[in-house]
Amino acid sequence: MINLPESELNAAFVGSEPMVLGEPNFWRRAGRSLLHDPIAVCSFAFIALLAVAAVFAPLIAPFNPLHEFSNGLSFQGAPVAPNGHFLLGTDASGRDVLSRLIYGARVSLMVGVVATGLASLIGVVIGTVSGYVGGVTESILMRFTDMVLSFPILLFCVALIAVTGPSTRNVVLVIAFAYWTYLARVVRGQVLSLKEREFVTAARTLGVGHLKIIRKHIMPHLLPTIIVYGTLGVATSILIEASLSFLGIGVPLPQASWGEMISEGQQYFQVAPWLLIAPGVVLILTVLAFNLAGDWLTDLLDPASRDMGR
Amino acid sequence: MATELVDSVATRDAVVVVDELSVAFPSRSGSGEVVRCVSFSVKAGQRVGLVGESGSGKSLTARAIMQLIPEPGRISGGRILVGDDLVLATRASARRWRGTTVAMITQDPLSSLNPLVRVGAQITEMLRYHRHLSRADARQRAMELLNGVGLPNSKRTMRQFPSALSGGMRQRVALAIAISCNPRLLIADEPTTALDVTIQAQVLDLLERMSAENNSAVLLISHDLGVVANFCDEIMVMYAGRIVETGPTERLLEHPLHPYTTALLTSVPSMTEALPERLLSITGSPPVGGVDVVGCPFAPRCPLAQPLCSEVEPPLRTLDDPARRVACHAAGNKEWPTARQAVGVS
Amino acid sequence: MTSPTSTTLVDVRDLNVYFRVRRGLAASRSIKAVDGVSFELSPGQTLGIAGESGSGKSTVARTLVQIIRPTAGTISLDGEVVTNLKGSRLRQYRRRMQMVYQDPYDSLDPRMMIREAIGEALAVRGLAKSQHKDEVHQLLHRVNLPASVATRYPGQLSGGQRQRVSIARALAVKPEVIICDEAVAALDVSIRAQVLNLLKDIQRDTGVGYLFISHDLSTLRFMADHVAVMYVGRIVEYGTSDEVFANPLHPYTRALISAVPSVTSRGQLRLKLSGEPPDPGNPPSGCPFNPRCPEAIDECRRERPELLMTSSGQRVACHVVSARQHRESAKESA
Repeated sequence: MINLPESELNAAFVGSEPMVLGEPNFWRRAGRSLLHDPIAVCSFAFIALLAVAAVFAPLIAPFNPLHEFSNGLSFQGAPVAPNGHFLLGTDASGRDVLSRLIYGARVSLMVGVVATGLASLIGVVIGTVSGYVGGVTESILMRFTDMVLSFPILLFCVALIAVTGPSTRNVVLVIAFAYWTYLARVVRGQVLSLKEREFVTAARTLGVGHLKIIRKHIMPHLLPTIIVYGTLGVATSILIEASLSFLGIGVPLPQASWGEMISEGQQYFQVAPWLLIAPGVVLILTVLAFNLAGDWLTDLLDPASRDMGR
Repeated sequence: MATELVDSVATRDAVVVVDELSVAFPSRSGSGEVVRCVSFSVKAGQRVGLVGESGSGKSLTARAIMQLIPEPGRISGGRILVGDDLVLATRASARRWRGTTVAMITQDPLSSLNPLVRVGAQITEMLRYHRHLSRADARQRAMELLNGVGLPNSKRTMRQFPSALSGGMRQRVALAIAISCNPRLLIADEPTTALDVTIQAQVLDLLERMSAENNSAVLLISHDLGVVANFCDEIMVMYAGRIVETGPTERLLEHPLHPYTTALLTSVPSMTEALPERLLSITGSPPVGGVDVVGCPFAPRCPLAQPLCSEVEPPLRTLDDPARRVACHAAGNKEWPTARQAVGVS
Repeated sequence: MTSPTSTTLVDVRDLNVYFRVRRGLAASRSIKAVDGVSFELSPGQTLGIAGESGSGKSTVARTLVQIIRPTAGTISLDGEVVTNLKGSRLRQYRRRMQMVYQDPYDSLDPRMMIREAIGEALAVRGLAKSQHKDEVHQLLHRVNLPASVATRYPGQLSGGQRQRVSIARALAVKPEVIICDEAVAALDVSIRAQVLNLLKDIQRDTGVGYLFISHDLSTLRFMADHVAVMYVGRIVEYGTSDEVFANPLHPYTRALISAVPSVTSRGQLRLKLSGEPPDPGNPPSGCPFNPRCPEAIDECRRERPELLMTSSGQRVACHVVSARQHRESAKESA
């Protein structure tokens, strides 16, 4: 005789249980959590704004960022302060600062996202393989990771650019190559502990093959970490790109880049402070927004790591 | 009801009186009560058992007495009086009587013992703080205590860290600390659940001896009716945050009045008697704490349930035997219809 | 020792599982988690393995499902030797011996829907995806869970429900043997009874054999037809459930049974056992139980006792018991 158990239990005290991505109520709970956190809302709004600016730059920017306006320079040839026409003023070559900022967003976001995406791919693969396979393979991979990791990331990038030559593509590759190591180590650690979880043992007992286990049981558990490191990685990548451009070895001129704008702005600070303030503030806000968004995502997806890495 | 309990005979010689205690956690829907109107008292030297499954609220009741309810929970009703002079227990007053008048040992001694402090230091700290002993006296007493709990190498044990000891030994240390200040009441919250059976027997034995030597009362909390049956003079059964039956051990086990008590008894296979083909048990699972229920919380699973049970919550009352209380409409009611079906279910 | 008959389902002979532990530069030492264990399981029967921590019973379980490789010994399933299989043969074997784990909260992948979890097992069995849905519902029905559970996640189920799902998943590959490794230890008493009843029903309906590992003797008494009591990696007593519980011979078994606090045995005098189980990496010489044994004689410290058959049909590894048996049989023949 079948006796039905009680209807599903409503977890009254969910507290700090991590939410499952595929869960039915996930988006609703995520949304509610988001609404309670105004800082996170602002961060995501800002990122959305940036994304829109980057994608629709040609439509949004008032002017061509490369165009040197004749009326962009004063009679003495100095940059023009913000006014009704050039909302954020012009730079030393008479180009519209606002337009350059918007196109700069494009560069920064593109570099940030692509470099981080590439880094994540490499990092996850290496981390998973070394964590799951173990043994000699793990040792070799991890020593290699350690080697790369021991270089200060910026110096490393500078050195690589010196070898490969500055170009947007090289900047992306260089940042990816420097950044994958962080994710590789974290992923390896997680895979090591995931491997010992009873549901993985259960899958092995069932006779499920290794590749399937990695795909269905290990990867989904890595997703929160990857997402979180991804958001923080974008922030770091943007900063690195800006630093490289600041040093003059990043995205080549005359393309607009925030780093390059800061570099120029620093030179003209006494005369035209807006040249430094505008890109500086935008850069700070961007990095901050990504960091805060990453924090919120951490709390949502992976509360266990809440207190780490701060 | 409140003053009744305090002034009645039942509370003479009591070392703790719990009076309509309710504990609640913040909840979006309803009151969030996980312990509801629990009342009982423990007399000096008495051994009382609190039995229940998960969600019964037994652990929280113990912690409420110690004023150690984890955030965001809080005591939402009732009061607790501790000690021979029945002082009102509050967070503020706790510092005076916690550890000295009322002490507690828990399931996992690793969490109640500081892993970074040597065992000896943890005992002497207690003694010096509460009893104002000198360092030398405290050390002496600590070694005596460790010997008393069956840790013969007391000098060596004093210097060890908790992680170097086995589970059974840690529990002995926890016990030594707990009785170091001669508490009137010792609360033992699942003290042996994480231990092997043979070690469990040792620790319970020790608990019995210690409580007798110090004339401490013991409130033993367990999900294991067998443990409680062998240790306690009196048993209280909890379900869904409420006490559903109490009584002296022998009488309660021989003639349970509440269907839940009966189910608990028949759910565990006997060690000595002939076994049935199937264990008599009940369907469903204990309700999750904090969800408000109309009527008796056990009704959905109860083989004796009638419509009345889902409408009116049965009060905890005495029937013929003044030493026993039960919260069930069916108990003692000769006209109550018998079970609709046999209680053997899967 | 009886030789394995054609009706033996699982036959384990002289199983050794040693772990090598290395501490820095010091020489490595062996932890003999399982040391010379032999037992049989007949089809449709339940063999219970009792023991406390350090007894090696969980290691035995994991070795049988080949999560751990034995250091020595043979495991046979249906007469076929299956120790140290690899590759596709290992995969085939895995379907025949399944396991239900102790922790209902970790043995199911929290990010997988129940129907996916069971579906994974069905895929291993080779069932076409189109038939998964019905089969999942059937399996859930078999373990008395409503079909609506299929679209839930483990986090939304109670402990008892999760264990039933684990049982359903194990049944999905149609195994010949299911190993229950403390499968009900983490459940509330009333839920435990439900799941035990369910396991018995399934055995009656499908004829599957159980290897039931538990530290809880009352559960074993209910479930097992035969019982093996383990202590520090060895079997110290082996017999039918009735024999072992009604007439335990080994001093450890007697102490273990006596130590169980049972409602029905309340107030009875208990055999007190002093001391703690030894460190498996450094067991005492001779019989590992001798430091705690109330009846130890000199021989117990020198020589390890073999598992020998007594006149009542039980097997006991104890010098004192063997000596007593000798005296009694000598008396009879005199």
